[in-house]
Amino acid sequence: MTPTTTRATHGTRPPTGKSRATAAPGTRPAPAAGRRQGRRENLAGYLFLTPWCIGILLLTLGPMLVSLYLAFTDYNLFDSPRWIGFKNFQDLFQDDRWWTSVQVTLKYVLIGTPLKLAAALAVALLLVKPRKGQGFYRSAFYAPSLIGASVSVGIVWRAIFNDDAVVDKSMSLFGWDVGGWIGDPDWALPTLITLTVWQFGAPMVIFLAGLKQVPGELYEAAEMDGAGRWRRFRSITLPMISPVLFFNLLLELIHSFQVFTSAVVIAGSGTNTGGPGDSLLVYGWYLYEQGFRNLRMGYAAAMAWMLMLGIGLVTAVLFKTQRGWVHYEEDAR
Amino acid sequence: MGARRGTTRARGVRAAAAALAALGLLATGCGGGSGSGDGKVTIRYSWWGAKDRAELIQKTVEMFEKEHPNIKVKTDFSEYTDFWSKFNTQAAGGNAPDVFQNSYAFLRKYGDKNLLLDLNGQAKAGNLSLKGFRDGLEKAGDIDGKLLGVPVGANTFALFYNPDAYRKAGVTVEAGWTWDDFFAAAEKVRKSDDTLYGASDNANVMYLYDLYLRQNGKAFFTKDGKLGFTEDDLTKWWGRWQQHAKADELVPGKKSEQAKPKASISADLSASEFTWDNFLVRFAAETKTSLDLGPIPTTDGKRTGQYLSSLMLSGSARTQHPKEVAQFIDFMTHDPEVGKVMGYNRGIPATTSQYDAYEPQGVDAKIAAYEKSVSAQLEPITPHPAGADVAEAAFLRIYTQVALGQTSMGKAVDQFFNEADSALGS
Repeated sequence: MTPTTTRATHGTRPPTGKSRATAAPGTRPAPAAGRRQGRRENLAGYLFLTPWCIGILLLTLGPMLVSLYLAFTDYNLFDSPRWIGFKNFQDLFQDDRWWTSVQVTLKYVLIGTPLKLAAALAVALLLVKPRKGQGFYRSAFYAPSLIGASVSVGIVWRAIFNDDAVVDKSMSLFGWDVGGWIGDPDWALPTLITLTVWQFGAPMVIFLAGLKQVPGELYEAAEMDGAGRWRRFRSITLPMISPVLFFNLLLELIHSFQVFTSAVVIAGSGTNTGGPGDSLLVYGWYLYEQGFRNLRMGYAAAMAWMLMLGIGLVTAVLFKTQRGWVHYEEDAR
Repeated sequence: MGARRGTTRARGVRAAAAALAALGLLATGCGGGSGSGDGKVTIRYSWWGAKDRAELIQKTVEMFEKEHPNIKVKTDFSEYTDFWSKFNTQAAGGNAPDVFQNSYAFLRKYGDKNLLLDLNGQAKAGNLSLKGFRDGLEKAGDIDGKLLGVPVGANTFALFYNPDAYRKAGVTVEAGWTWDDFFAAAEKVRKSDDTLYGASDNANVMYLYDLYLRQNGKAFFTKDGKLGFTEDDLTKWWGRWQQHAKADELVPGKKSEQAKPKASISADLSASEFTWDNFLVRFAAETKTSLDLGPIPTTDGKRTGQYLSSLMLSGSARTQHPKEVAQFIDFMTHDPEVGKVMGYNRGIPATTSQYDAYEPQGVDAKIAAYEKSVSAQLEPITPHPAGADVAEAAFLRIYTQVALGQTSMGKAVDQFFNEADSALGS
């Protein structure tokens, strides 16, 4: 699964088509006994799989189908759903707040993700060479993403960027007087984006693993040819880690589209939803508000499927463009 | 080698079977009901509020359990909006708490969906007394003949003001003053003290606009659950506040957003603000400035349009233990000791027994004096339809966008009517 194994698996990938291993590899028992044994082995396998199968049926596939059905109904959580066809989807396009939530989310994704990946790669480059205290720095930078989705970080962020708090006070020293950042419609979203950029630990670890796979000879050869630092980075490092970059980009994009907790916690609950002037109304939050507070679960389900379509579209486009900039070793062959 | 593989396989099958059995056990384990074998009944009680209320409520619950050893009460609390999201989810799953804190604005919303226990039956059975409520409050939870909630405390709207700032500006507040007087006072305060705004911009407070409408013979909601005012009315109301905001007399939208979670007045930004009188308890904790309660401005010099609103306790229609729920509500509303513990945390106690038991001190005494002074003014409350809470949230949010300069007045008014109409189902 991890992209670091991409290179390794290319060598060991089983030849497609021909010699598929049928039963347990290694032993080759008599045909009849073998078949029975195989069946028993399969049975055990299926038995072990059952919890997973039940899980995916009950917890993933089932709810998804129900939600798809609900997207075409008027459903308030209490009365039974009433079929209304595409009305929810039509309403979405006329809903100003829906458009606001799309805009806020796109800004968050399009600004936050590249910054986060850049930070992750930069720090990974610093930490890839063995040096004193490397372990400490790696864990220190990784820690914020460990506690990533938690409410506590949101609360801390809120405390830091509030009126009269650390950031406000220290900025005022330099004559930059914003006041509470979270309460300012212009600064609330940048505050949220800073939080996601700060949590670059997970992609950093993956970058680190990717960087370690780049063969040292390449750099030596390039250096011999007189290539400078920047040139080596552009012509060797970037292409060599492009599969890792692709993986990180995909994962972070999908992840950012679903931002919810941090926005809600930073903007604070109470009657105040969406942050100052809806500047923090991310998609997930609006969906939640419609579903659980305004009791429009059908509408919320329609929103969820639009989000899924959106993410699917972005993913598809990324996979399409992949050929242009992601280099797998086999292409070189 | 072959033999060993055989035993591992057998073990594997057995392990898988065991895993399945465990899953099954788990499933039956979850199905267990709340009725335990020793005749003890457990009821779940949830409410919204913060830590200070949590400590008081815990005390009262322990008192109840002592009095009713056969009933155990499990409590659960969250903040106001989180409370309703959680409640919606639980109720939709058929798992609403047996008894919970409620307020007038939600009675119809959940009453219409048959989620609330009609307490009339329990009152008739003698499990819940409806006697001894102040100011006719025993009818507060009556919706179309069903008793959907019993008030624990009641409060009314008030003007909070900073007496020092008002004195310095040479303004006095007196009963019967008009909106013109109020805005003139705001202007004077602003002129006399450049660190303070004259008033918080409260144009987005539904309850205040409701009072203003009632002074003019209308109300925010009509009896049949629609909006009780026109787009013109709203444009005038919001426009008037905007005019004073633009004159720099009211706290600017951005500043009041930045002061959150504090209110503008408790952040010492403004000299006056409108809200429920029991908020004095909270404001006193947030600011060192001493605040007073003053009368609501009027249109005609007489009528303030004020009414009592109340926090209530409601039962779930699906509770297995309606009798115990009724006993709990009865205890919480009537027991004098509970009144002593809770004080004015949820407004002024709704029953005379609790009201008399508690000797208000400090800010509580101020609230008591204020309520006494307006008691002759109080009128009946206008019913809140289902969707009132959504309309309120829209009212608040959309005017805030006007105050922040993000949208024009015309667009804002349109948008409010759109959202409110769809929330109210018209």
